[in-house]
Amino acid sequence: MNTLPYADQKIGQKEMVFIVANVVIGVGILTFPRTLAAKTGSIDGWISILISGLVASVIGWLLGKLASRFPANSFFEYASLIVSRPVAQVITFLVGIYFLLFVSFEARALGNIAKQYLFTTTPVEVITLAFLLIVQYAVAGTRIALLRLNMLFFPIVLLISAVVQLYSIQMLELDNVRPLFTTGLGALLQGSKEVNLSFSGYEVVLFYTLLMTRAEDAPKAVVKGLLIPIFLYLTIYIFVIGVFSAEVVKNLTYPTIELAKDVEVPGGFIERVESLFFTIWIMTIFNSCTVFFDLAIFNLGSIFPNVRKFTWLLIISPLVYMISLWPQNLVQFFSLGDQLVYFGIFITYLVPILLLLIAKWRGVRGDE
Amino acid sequence: MFRRVWEKWKNEAIASCRKQQSSHSDQQASNKTPLSESLQENLDIIKQRLGNPQDLIIRPFLIDNSGRACAVACIDGLVDSELVHDKVVKHIQLLMSPAGKAIPAPDEDIMAFMLNEVLSIIEVKTGTTMEEVLDAMLVGDTAFFVDGSHTTILIDSRGWETRGIEEPVSEGLVRGPRDGFNENIRDNTVRIRRRVRDPKLRFDATTVGRRSKTDLIVAYIEDIAHPNIVNEIKRRISTIDIDQVEESGYIEQWIEDNFLSPFPQVQNTERPDKVASALFQGRVAIILDGTPMVLLAPVTLGIMLHSPEDFYERWMVGSLARVLRYLASYLAVFSPALYIALVTFHPGLIPSDLAFSIAATRDGVPFPAAVESLIMVTTMELLQEAGLRLPKPIGQTVGIVGGLVIGEAAVSAGIVSPVMVIVVAITAIASFAIPSYNLAIAFRMIRFGAMLAAAMFGLYGVVLAFILIVIHLTNLTSIGVPYLAPLAPQLVSDWKDYILRAPITFFKKRPDMLQTKDKTRMKAGRSQ
Repeated sequence: MNTLPYADQKIGQKEMVFIVANVVIGVGILTFPRTLAAKTGSIDGWISILISGLVASVIGWLLGKLASRFPANSFFEYASLIVSRPVAQVITFLVGIYFLLFVSFEARALGNIAKQYLFTTTPVEVITLAFLLIVQYAVAGTRIALLRLNMLFFPIVLLISAVVQLYSIQMLELDNVRPLFTTGLGALLQGSKEVNLSFSGYEVVLFYTLLMTRAEDAPKAVVKGLLIPIFLYLTIYIFVIGVFSAEVVKNLTYPTIELAKDVEVPGGFIERVESLFFTIWIMTIFNSCTVFFDLAIFNLGSIFPNVRKFTWLLIISPLVYMISLWPQNLVQFFSLGDQLVYFGIFITYLVPILLLLIAKWRGVRGDE
Repeated sequence: MFRRVWEKWKNEAIASCRKQQSSHSDQQASNKTPLSESLQENLDIIKQRLGNPQDLIIRPFLIDNSGRACAVACIDGLVDSELVHDKVVKHIQLLMSPAGKAIPAPDEDIMAFMLNEVLSIIEVKTGTTMEEVLDAMLVGDTAFFVDGSHTTILIDSRGWETRGIEEPVSEGLVRGPRDGFNENIRDNTVRIRRRVRDPKLRFDATTVGRRSKTDLIVAYIEDIAHPNIVNEIKRRISTIDIDQVEESGYIEQWIEDNFLSPFPQVQNTERPDKVASALFQGRVAIILDGTPMVLLAPVTLGIMLHSPEDFYERWMVGSLARVLRYLASYLAVFSPALYIALVTFHPGLIPSDLAFSIAATRDGVPFPAAVESLIMVTTMELLQEAGLRLPKPIGQTVGIVGGLVIGEAAVSAGIVSPVMVIVVAITAIASFAIPSYNLAIAFRMIRFGAMLAAAMFGLYGVVLAFILIVIHLTNLTSIGVPYLAPLAPQLVSDWKDYILRAPITFFKKRPDMLQTKDKTRMKAGRSQ
């Protein structure tokens, strides 16, 4: 029931920008300096970030193009318009599975980090369960409320990362940064592949353009939304390397959180800022999780339209929880993450770009 | 899921009520007793229907010297007996046939004659059925019968004792008008009309309660309030089907969007100035007879945390007060939870000196922090509840006993630590700083949930609790208006009147979130 015109279920370009930015900055930002430093071995990794940011922007722009071509259709609907219904069913199903796996991954990541920084004795199963229950509560509500949550939490998240970086300025050591431009092109590209994994998430544009008041803004919104994480990744990387040096960063599991560890708030008002930092960081992980969860339900639901959203929630939730407990240790966990991202690259980047090409070639357009 | 069950249940209930109602009204239509021509018969029926109560006044007398029998009937105490005496009985008894006119024969004309020439009272109407007469009498009208006529004149003679206009008890201000609503609906509409002298002000009256037949007025300014809001409120009120409506709380609980939420989705106030300013914003007021609490809808969390004083004082004062109140609402909900989380799970987060001193004071305390907080916070709630019910002089005793016993004795007995006492005190003070009593209660309820979360998961639990509350709030609506507006959805132009209160001259438009018809508040800003 919408009493008022503005309270309808639509989002504007601003919302889309925030959603993309928020979803991209998830768990990836906490770990990427380690993998990047391992590949590039120096501060030069920032070039890798720029390269992968550029790649992400181009792909994002293409995905936005595809989605805005069909402003009134869901992903499943336009996929069936482009490549027949059975093929679209397979694609949409895989996309749903991908998001389902991604939720599990993020939830487990949260559990792991929380166990390392906040609790020592509480089992990771319980931590993850509590988190997933909250995520489910958010998904059970309306979709528009879920997207508005992004708008609410994102400024808080930006603020806390800005604060951490500001306090880290005094700990920067130039020796850690030098020498510049020592890394070869091969290593840089290797690095940018690693960072690319941390940029995943902007594929949400494929599914939420449907809700936009002006669908033609979608490509612009993705690129703008990606600018925020690109900038954030650049500064975080420079700070992390500048404070710890590349050699140390290679061996830190969560370098970004370690950065917060060294922050000292003047006046001794609070100590061990990293716990606080991560606590607030839960909000952004939560946001990406709800969005992915929602998309998993949305996509699986669009193949089987007769099943209600709440039923899907009941079916998927135990699955997500069980999958999130699958990896036995950190190594398994990170390799699961890598495989997941490759699967994602295939199903949410390559396939949609292929769809776009076919749509162009066959001249398929959505109904206005 | 609950919502679905509730919807289903509610729909069924409403449907069955409708069925009953329609059958009820059919019955009534067929069962309506027309008035008899015989005066005595009419009076007998009245006595019989009302059970001949002690407070029923029936006064038969003769019209002037014509010898025609007539009578007035009314309920003692509901009517202004002086008015009935002076303007009705006396006039008719002393009725001298005006120049050249004879008193008409005992048929319809005599009533017209009475209306036109004798009764000098503004509010009169005629009635033809016994049900009409009884309803009117129970409201405070006087029925006037003449032998031989089967119509009656119902004279509005309402006049019962009411409380005078007093200062609102629950919403005191340092600066601002001192008058509050009282229990009489007419006095209350007057208080509003005195402030809103706009011909577009609408008072749409109806009655609620099948047996209590309580008057209810929906007030709004027609060319400001969005018609959808007004219609939705009226629609929801029209579904009300209870036999008695004691207080506006009944209406609030019937029309609210989500009955599972701890948050109030309709505001209540006893300040006419608050109602007037809400009407000018484009909101709707619901006034119920018999209670000084006027309902205002739609409402948002922001509006609940505002006080009229924010606008009466200069903008800096108002803004600072608001920032304080937002801070207070966080403290009211989360401070005991944070204490539990920090002491139990993350002592490392507290600066080491403080951590040591807290640990030292907690040395003899036999309970874990969670139990300690639970004891203290529950005691605080008990104190608050006890103080509320007691008469004022004894209430002070509760304060002293509570303050001494809980503050001093509990600490020296080693049951709780002094830091805990400080935390509880901060929490209590913070919840008193919230202007809406029902919102403060919501926060008090949530506080226990937050404490539980903190006891289980520490800071992690507190953040999860915070996220949970925010999810709930973004999903919540009040008459279709998002509860977190203008924050989610973002309506930046409304931020002038949100956490900060911009200078008065900045408010050129009415709030965007209410989608008013007439958007302009002032044509131009202050001319320098």
